[in-house]
Amino acid sequence: MPRLLLSFAVAVTFSPLARAAEPLHVRIDAVIETKAKAENASLAAPADDAEFLRRVYLDFAGTIPTVAVTKAFLADTATDKRTKVIDSLLSNPSYATRMADLFHVAFMERLGENADWTKYLRESFAKNKPYDQMVREMLRADSKDADTVGAAFWISKRLENYGQNPVDYSALTRDVGRLFLGKNFQCCECHDHLFIDDYKQQHFQGLHTFFKNTYLVNPAKMIVAEKPTIEKHPFASVFTKVQMATGPSLPGMMMIDIPMFAKGMEFETPPNKKTNEPGVPKFSTLAKISEQLPTAKNTDFTRNAVNRIWFAVMGRGLVHPLDLHHGRNPASHPEVLAMLADEFAANKFDMKWLLRELALTTTYQRSSVVQAGKDAPDSRLFAVALEKRLSADQLLTAMLTATGNDPKAADTLRPKFLKAFANQPREPEDEIAPSLKGALFVLHDSAVLELVVTKPGNLVERTAKLDDAAATDELYLTVLTRKPTADERAAVAKVLAKHPEKRAEAIGRVAWALLASMEFGVNH
Amino acid sequence: MLCTPVEHQISRRQFMGAAGGSALSLGGLVTPAVAEKLRKERRQVLFVWLDGGMSQLESWDPKPNTPFGGPFRSIQTTVPGIQISELMPQSAKLMKHLAIVRSVSTQDNSHSAGVDRINRGDPKNRGVVYPFFGSAVSKLVGNNDSGLPSYIWVKPLSGGFIYKDAGFLGPKYGALALGDGKPPENLLRPKEIAPEDDDERNELRKLLDSKYAAERRKEFTEANTHAFEMAAQLQKKIELFDLSKLPQKDQDRYGTHDLGRHMLLARRLLEEGVTFVKVTSYGWDTHGDHFNGAASLHPKFDRPFAAIIEDMRDRGMLDNVLVIACAEFGRTPRINGHIGRDHWPEAWSVCMAGRGIKGGVVAGKTNDKGTEVTSDPVDIGGLFHTWYKALGIDPKEVEFRNGGQPLPIAHEEMKPVTEVLA
Repeated sequence: MPRLLLSFAVAVTFSPLARAAEPLHVRIDAVIETKAKAENASLAAPADDAEFLRRVYLDFAGTIPTVAVTKAFLADTATDKRTKVIDSLLSNPSYATRMADLFHVAFMERLGENADWTKYLRESFAKNKPYDQMVREMLRADSKDADTVGAAFWISKRLENYGQNPVDYSALTRDVGRLFLGKNFQCCECHDHLFIDDYKQQHFQGLHTFFKNTYLVNPAKMIVAEKPTIEKHPFASVFTKVQMATGPSLPGMMMIDIPMFAKGMEFETPPNKKTNEPGVPKFSTLAKISEQLPTAKNTDFTRNAVNRIWFAVMGRGLVHPLDLHHGRNPASHPEVLAMLADEFAANKFDMKWLLRELALTTTYQRSSVVQAGKDAPDSRLFAVALEKRLSADQLLTAMLTATGNDPKAADTLRPKFLKAFANQPREPEDEIAPSLKGALFVLHDSAVLELVVTKPGNLVERTAKLDDAAATDELYLTVLTRKPTADERAAVAKVLAKHPEKRAEAIGRVAWALLASMEFGVNH
Repeated sequence: MLCTPVEHQISRRQFMGAAGGSALSLGGLVTPAVAEKLRKERRQVLFVWLDGGMSQLESWDPKPNTPFGGPFRSIQTTVPGIQISELMPQSAKLMKHLAIVRSVSTQDNSHSAGVDRINRGDPKNRGVVYPFFGSAVSKLVGNNDSGLPSYIWVKPLSGGFIYKDAGFLGPKYGALALGDGKPPENLLRPKEIAPEDDDERNELRKLLDSKYAAERRKEFTEANTHAFEMAAQLQKKIELFDLSKLPQKDQDRYGTHDLGRHMLLARRLLEEGVTFVKVTSYGWDTHGDHFNGAASLHPKFDRPFAAIIEDMRDRGMLDNVLVIACAEFGRTPRINGHIGRDHWPEAWSVCMAGRGIKGGVVAGKTNDKGTEVTSDPVDIGGLFHTWYKALGIDPKEVEFRNGGQPLPIAHEEMKPVTEVLA
């Protein structure tokens, strides 16, 4: 019988005609479940309502639900309440703030912050700008267009130089490959990759040719300019020493011909020596890459896009590490990667559509609880929900929501949370990395301790007025989005009984323990 | 298979006899003889990293009166026949404890690649990120019940927990970096929290965490527990960071400059039993005005380096502590147009002392001008073999496991430098 079931599942999964009419999320689940069964991994039970609600709020609103939202959701008996909450979060203003944080961390990798960039991201997500258009605007780096000036930050920050160091063009080229194509060509600057056959020196140098003539005119205004590209870029492998040359080219695509102009005729608008206004060349390599890279037919682009979004929602890339797409590091579920990429492109790179489909999957809505007495199945199977790191901003906002303190406090607390929880520049935040610094911050820093001091209307003040059982329920439901177990009720009651005189302080310590817990510190 | 650290084997067996089966604390329960034995079996490392590349020609392998030799003389050490640069007079007095390998020849002449490669021992590529030596030793040797993290890095500038050092071993084998030798920020509990209240809130936190961890994947929960445990350990050791309580004489001998203060802290950490202490000094990349630079830099290393060797000798710690002074490469014999020396991985020197090392020895040699190694060249993989052997870890018998994948602890085609092994 099990064998029969299995072959049935396989038949269903691999018959695209039969399945094509099904929504994407149903087809994703079919592939995930088939593979998990084939590998004898047991699938985790569905997340209960509380676990689901917390997860979906952190993912799409960047914070935990308020206690009122949680109570209403748990009491709701509608069968479609999960779909409703997903839809309402995707149309809530906090969606844009959350996505701006997610993309800022993923694409700037803590290189720096900029108000125009943040504004650009938030506005783009608020109007659900297609993803390809966002990438086009980032690569075009046109600071003259008031609507997209913030997008120029992606390149302009990378064209800054630090102290005596020259501009790190290699890092800029590498980041384009890593972040927009999912391929880290760093090792290919000087030779074909030694261990990854698919990565060639031509790939690095072809990409580099788009950027080698760009420069930063004004960091504050993010004015990026180009010198004319008039000839191919020469390079040689350090091993073979054979002289090569390349025009601008994307991996797997045709090299772009460099047009010839008579000397002095290279500019559309020549540089103005009086005003120091940079010239605009007739042949703009930034215009070329922004046209050619973010397109439906560039599978490097589409696959990287959906893989990074899958990672953000599911906790691990289908291809992992995220920037090592190549033949010998295949996706855990190649069919899912292909479906996502093709259909994201076919849906005109509609972010909300993609996020909604992912959130609707059973895969997303599974519990992160590992079956008792068993080892956790391979994380590549997505058989049990994976925990996700909270960004510094998510953690801060969640702590403020949980403790019922003034959300405006975020402005002053944010630098401290960034220092304690953000990675160093250029270190991707792609794994959960608990640190001593973070632990000491939670243990001793006034930024956290102040949140659990009683203040008018905050969590501690509110719950201190309740009896022990009610206070415990309220604290757990507010901070952890779940009810306490009997053991937990007893433990809290024991603490509270010891401090009848200083009840608010004791409540504050309980609230602190909940905030400092592992359960609060990740998106599980 | 991973080896079981020697002291654990001893403790099992001998505690049972000597301490009536109760082996929770090394404090009161152990007989002096067993304690002494345990202390002797303790294995530790002091790894001094001279970032940017120290010149071998102004330190361990001088070539006076040659075209590239530079202005400094060489001086006689306390071991007949061995001479080192006059910029290293204190080390010269302790030569009988030191072993110098003059035939180091490595691959990378860029800082970014070199630092990583040397620290990871440049094993064959197997598609995994190897741990830095400190992470590897803290995995292989374990924690010496010091109540402190087993891999501590004393360095100028910023600190933090540097989990990237650990590579595939996983975050908990990372380095605790003490920026400018200072304790981490927020280490001290604010006065407003009474100790009993602190315990109370942490008990509740641990209760929550054990419930959560019991039904989740291990990766995050273990690393998180480790971070909080480290925080608790360090709080108890706050007095370690206050060097002003040490005798003035110590502070004078080590010097009050960064490397002096940091070496003195390193001694304190090693005395406490920390398994691996790395001390980094920056600024050795002397591409210009090299000789004035060396005249100032080398004594700043020589003084505290000799002081810590002397102190460890006097305390009997050289039986336990393997000492290594190393960098990502040496410096070019040819003197450039800015009177500087550039990067030179082709022929440079590394100095060692202490546990498992035969003192008063020079292994390998370079040609007259110091441009090439004329004996068998020693790559970093060979040095890793040497260091592991000195620590009593045989790379032929011990290997790492990454999931199910067995991985050699050192490059399997290289050999130790036997001349410097005791």
